[in-house]
Amino acid sequence: MALSARAIEEIRSLPPRFPHLRSAVPPALDIAQEELGRLTPEAMTEVAEALGLDPGYVEGVATFYTLLHTQPLGRHHLYVCTNLSCTLRGAEEICHHLRRLIGVKEEREISADGLFSYEEVECLGACEYAPMLRCDGRYYYDVTPQKLEALIQGWRQEAGNGD
Amino acid sequence: MATEVPAFSPHVPSTELRGSGGLTPPGPVLTRFFGTPGLYTLAVYRDHGGYRSLERALKEMTPQEVHAQVKASGLRGRGGAGFPTGTKWGFVPADVPGPRYVVVNFDEAEPGTTKDRYLVENCPHQLLEGACIAAYAVGAHQVWIYIRGEYDHPYRILLEAIEEARQQGILGERPFGVDYPLDIQLYRGHGAYICGEETGLLESLEGKRPQPRSRPPFPAVKGAWGRPTLMNNVETLSTLPWIVEHGGQAYHALGTDRSGGTRMLSVSGDVRRPGVYEIPIGVTFRHVIMELAGGPPPGRQVKVFWPGGSSAPVLPASMLDVSTDLDELARVGSMGGSGGVIVADDSRCVVKAAARLLRFYAHESCGKCTPCRVGTDWAVRTYRRILDGEGSSADLQILDRIQASLQNGRCLCGLGDSGGWVIMSTMRHFRPEYEAHALRRQCVTGECERQGAADA
Repeated sequence: MALSARAIEEIRSLPPRFPHLRSAVPPALDIAQEELGRLTPEAMTEVAEALGLDPGYVEGVATFYTLLHTQPLGRHHLYVCTNLSCTLRGAEEICHHLRRLIGVKEEREISADGLFSYEEVECLGACEYAPMLRCDGRYYYDVTPQKLEALIQGWRQEAGNGD
Repeated sequence: MATEVPAFSPHVPSTELRGSGGLTPPGPVLTRFFGTPGLYTLAVYRDHGGYRSLERALKEMTPQEVHAQVKASGLRGRGGAGFPTGTKWGFVPADVPGPRYVVVNFDEAEPGTTKDRYLVENCPHQLLEGACIAAYAVGAHQVWIYIRGEYDHPYRILLEAIEEARQQGILGERPFGVDYPLDIQLYRGHGAYICGEETGLLESLEGKRPQPRSRPPFPAVKGAWGRPTLMNNVETLSTLPWIVEHGGQAYHALGTDRSGGTRMLSVSGDVRRPGVYEIPIGVTFRHVIMELAGGPPPGRQVKVFWPGGSSAPVLPASMLDVSTDLDELARVGSMGGSGGVIVADDSRCVVKAAARLLRFYAHESCGKCTPCRVGTDWAVRTYRRILDGEGSSADLQILDRIQASLQNGRCLCGLGDSGGWVIMSTMRHFRPEYEAHALRRQCVTGECERQGAADA
C-alpha cells in the first residue's frame, strides 16, 4: 500500500513547524497510519523519503511506540487498561469477556468480521474510573461486561447499516 | 500533531467529577473553582481572575521577582521526584544567547496517577497561564507541551484553549500590551511510559526513540534541541498563578515546613470513592484513604497502599498514619512520587500485584541499560514461576538479587530502580505471603486460587 499524494504533501509540510527536522517523524507517522490503518514497510519508506531521512531511522521510531502499529488491526481497536488500579476493579474479567464477545483468542487477533481487535495496555491515566478502555480516540469509563456488550453491539449495528 | 483544530463541541470535562469540586468541596489552590460550569473556557476562567497573575508578572514583576516567589513557596516538583522548583529554575543559565524553551511534561503515565488529566480537563487555562509565567521567569518565549498520545480529550481541550488564548492576544507578540512574545505548541506522544522521564521525553520531542540521555549535561543547560530548557510537570506549573497572586509565603503556609502548599492525590483501587483530591500537604494517608476516598469496600480492611504511584515503595495498613509530607515519606522508606495512591484491600494477593507491576516495568523498559532490560524481564519470569506453583527458595533469592541489581544508579534513569522498589518493598512488608506462594504453593488470601478457577 502506498500513501496518497495528499498525505505525502502534508508530511512534507511538517518540518517547518519544529526547530529540527526529526521532530516531524512521529506526526508524519500519524498521517501515514491514519490513511492506511497501519504502518506498512512501504509507508515507512515513503515517510522517510518525504522527509529526507533514512528508512531505518523512521522504522526505529515507529516500532518503539504502543500507538504505532505495523500489523493490521480491526476497524475498532480496543486498548484495555490492565494495570494495577484497573485489575483491582475487574480488568481481567473485562478482557475475558471481550475475547468471547468478539471471538478472538488473543491480543491483536482480528475478529472474523474484521471489525474488532484488542490489546491490553498499561495505565491510561483514568484510574478513578477503573476499569476503563480507550477506543477510536475516546475513553470509556466504569466498564462492565454489560456496557462492553452494548458497545460492541452498537458498533456491529453501525457497520451493518453502513455497508 | 493534528494539522487543524478538530470539530469541538462544548462539553462537560468528565461524565462526573470524582474528587475535589465533585465528591468533596474544591481545594484551596488548584481546584478552587472546580465544579464551576464552563471553567475550561477562557471567558469563565477570566471571570474568576484568570490570567491576572500572568498580566501582573509581565507588567509589574521582574523575572527575578517571580523566581523569588516560587522559591519562597517551597513548591516541589509534582511529577515524581519532588525536587524544589525554585532551585530547578535556577539551573537555567541566564546568559546563553539564542532560543530557550519551557517544556511541559504532560506524559502522565505513572500507574495510579490521573491528576494532570483532571487538572487540564477541568481548567486548561490554569496550565497555560502557569507555563507562560514560568517562561517569563526563565527568559523563554516558546512553550512546548508534550502530551501523552492516549489523552485525546485533554489534547482537544488544550488545542481549543491555546486557540482562544491566541485570539485574545494572551499568546502572541504583545501579551497584555507588553513586549514579551509568548507562544505555546502541543506535541503528542505515541504511547511509552519512558517519555515521562525528562530526557526520554526530550528525545521523543526531537523525534527519536525515547531512550534517556546520560547527565550531565542537564536539560536546564542542554535540553530540547540542544537549547537551555526548563521542564516542569503540569501540576507544578498549574500552581504558579496562585503563587503569583497570593505570594510564595502564603502558599508555603498551606503545607508543611519542608513540603510547602497543597498537592493533588489520585486515589484508586479498593476504595469506595476513587477520585482526585487536592490536599494540604501534611494530612495523613488515613485521612486521604479512609475519609476522602471513603475507605475500603464494606467488610474489607486496607491491606497495603502505594503512596505515590506504582514506583513508590508500598506501605502496609499499619502505616496509614504516615503524613503526606515528602520528607516524612522518605523517612519511612517510600516517597511522595506522583501522588497516585493505589489501595488494595485484604482480599488481594500482594505477590500477584507485584508481579503485575513488574510486567509493566519490563514492558516499558526502553532497553538501553542492561540491568533494567534484563533484570525486569528476569523478575517477570521468576514471578510467573512462583505464581504457577513452581517456585522455590531459590526464586526468592533471585528476586532479592534482582531488586538489589536494579537499584542504586546502575542505569541512566529511574525506571529500573522503580521496579526494584516494588519487589523490595512488597518482600519487606509481606515476606510470609511470598514464602507461602513460593515454598508451599499457597496464596494466603486465596485470590490466586479463585482466579485460577475462573480461568479454567
